[in-house]
Amino acid sequence: MPGFSGLERQRLGDTFDVMIEMDGLHKRFDQVRALNGLSLRAGDGQVTGLIGPNGAGKTTAFRIVYGLLRPDSGTARVDGVDVAQNRMRAQSQLGVLPDVRGLYPRLTAREHIRYFGQLHGAGGAGLEADIDDLIERLGMRDFADRLAKGFSRGQELKVALGRAMVHRPKNLILDEPTNGLDVMSSRAVRDLIAEMKGQGHCILISSHIMSEVSALCDRLVIVDQGRVAAAGSPEELRARAGVDDLEDVFVRLLGEGAKKSKNAEAAQ
Amino acid sequence: MKDQAMNGWGRRVWAVFAKEIRDHTRDRRSLMLALIYPLLAPLLVAGALFLAGKTLQGDFRQQFVTIPVVGLEYAPALETFLQDNNILFAPAPATRTDMEGAVREGRLPVVMIVPESARDQENFTVELITNTGRVDNLRITLRLSTIIRAYNERIAKREARAAGLPEGYGSAVKIERTNVSRDANIAVFFYNMMPPLVIFMIFLGGVHLAIDTTVGERERGSLEPLLLAPVERWVLLLAKALAAFAFTAVTTVVNLAAFRVFMGLAVATSERLSPPPAWDVFMLAFVIAVPLMAIAVALQMSIAVITRSMKEAQIYLGLLPLVPALPGMVMVFAPMNPTDATVAVPILGQMLLINQLVTEQAMLPHHLGIATLSTTVSAALIFLLAAKWFRREKMFVLG
Repeated sequence: MPGFSGLERQRLGDTFDVMIEMDGLHKRFDQVRALNGLSLRAGDGQVTGLIGPNGAGKTTAFRIVYGLLRPDSGTARVDGVDVAQNRMRAQSQLGVLPDVRGLYPRLTAREHIRYFGQLHGAGGAGLEADIDDLIERLGMRDFADRLAKGFSRGQELKVALGRAMVHRPKNLILDEPTNGLDVMSSRAVRDLIAEMKGQGHCILISSHIMSEVSALCDRLVIVDQGRVAAAGSPEELRARAGVDDLEDVFVRLLGEGAKKSKNAEAAQ
Repeated sequence: MKDQAMNGWGRRVWAVFAKEIRDHTRDRRSLMLALIYPLLAPLLVAGALFLAGKTLQGDFRQQFVTIPVVGLEYAPALETFLQDNNILFAPAPATRTDMEGAVREGRLPVVMIVPESARDQENFTVELITNTGRVDNLRITLRLSTIIRAYNERIAKREARAAGLPEGYGSAVKIERTNVSRDANIAVFFYNMMPPLVIFMIFLGGVHLAIDTTVGERERGSLEPLLLAPVERWVLLLAKALAAFAFTAVTTVVNLAAFRVFMGLAVATSERLSPPPAWDVFMLAFVIAVPLMAIAVALQMSIAVITRSMKEAQIYLGLLPLVPALPGMVMVFAPMNPTDATVAVPILGQMLLINQLVTEQAMLPHHLGIATLSTTVSAALIFLLAAKWFRREKMFVLG
């Protein structure tokens, strides 16, 4: 397992099936180095949280996993499928909630979900039954047949979630899933994530909200400057940083990471 | 396996196509472009034709025309001859400056001045103050000149006979015109204006859809979720191009039908104006224009996928219709004949053929074949380029 520390290997290697895997990802946009050897793994029946300051490379890493960008070097795999080699097969096993929800204002919620079901090759009565089921599960019945123009952020999120889950993916990537939501909607999303985890899905989320991360994630990966600054369960990270509050953990471990990379640059 | 794959992408093309059509039939801007805009040019041209028909009502040569004159009393024989040819007289403005001003501004069609030196003379010079920049002035001036020429010929004939000279003395070569244009009149001029306007509309009909489904999707953030679906990028772009093509085709049908109906109405009350080309001419024009629609959509798509914003795309694509319409406008005044070489030029080939069709000249079938092949192949190549650009990472990283 190249790109992983001995500790990581020991901690992750044999305890669960790795479903989403990033291995030594490098990506540069002109002068900006977005990813600098990022490696992480997310397994079945687990919620893995990706946290880091703005510009740390989280979105770029996600975009490589779901096949929108190609890494300069390194590999991303979904269920063992190399995304760069077989983008469409990897995509069919992934459900993605991007940060920007991007709905079509002139389509209804139901039409959005149907459209993405069809793009995944589904159709007919089976698809319609799946759509009805999602509408019920996500609490969308009141607005399922309304045009998306004027939807609240909570309603937009539900449509985007329905769209991401219509093909029953085994793996979910959720970018800032509760961003801009009210208390009730946030709780509904957290319940849904817990339910999906209980069903054995592999879930990878990014978030800025520490309380949410703490409550939801089995494993945390702190990303800074395009590489992993620290990784482990919330408890492990708390113990390592020697503080209780996860926000303090985040600040302290980021500080350590920054120091390390400065030293490494100085040594070079 | 191959069949399955074909079935797979065929279904996905249909899914994206159906979504774009549903989405855009709910969009007022797309519908305006497809259904209302193509009525405007036909309304304008037919309106102008209707007015021209009114002006030409009856035989112009038989109409009475009133002409301001000065000094006609010095040439009574000419006065009688003009009166016999339905010319009436009115007093002219008092000064020369007033006369020239009135003609220049179009208040008077022409002023005829007979000098005092014409008194009791057979040979003299008349002056016509005219403004050939105005069509009405030009027509009256021409008619007056023709009558005066006939007057001269009558005198020349009489004098030749008196002097014992042979018939035709003084005008060795006579001109006789045989006009092969079916019914040459002002209506044909208006019908010739149709092809460039139809082509202009072809380049405009699907433009909103082309922008909205590509750079518009990126701007609204819906392109990223779309590209997460396991679909080849060229399949997505092809489906979007087909939707833009469908809107362009509807626009063209509305445009051609509006031209036929409005032109028909405009000439209905006039006996002098020839009717517009028959419906089958318009249907054939549509068939000839199909490759034009394809290349218009391919160009729109390729420009839309490389621009960074809807605004930028709108600027470029707003200018695009002018490119093919310009040679068309030139051809209204300086017609070009279709040859094997000229019809092989993409876009120009269709323009030449549609022109030929509207002016009711015989069309060579192999010209239609060459033009269709050349423009369709060009459209396919441009589309492939657009599909290549659509795969670039910049498509999502920027904006």
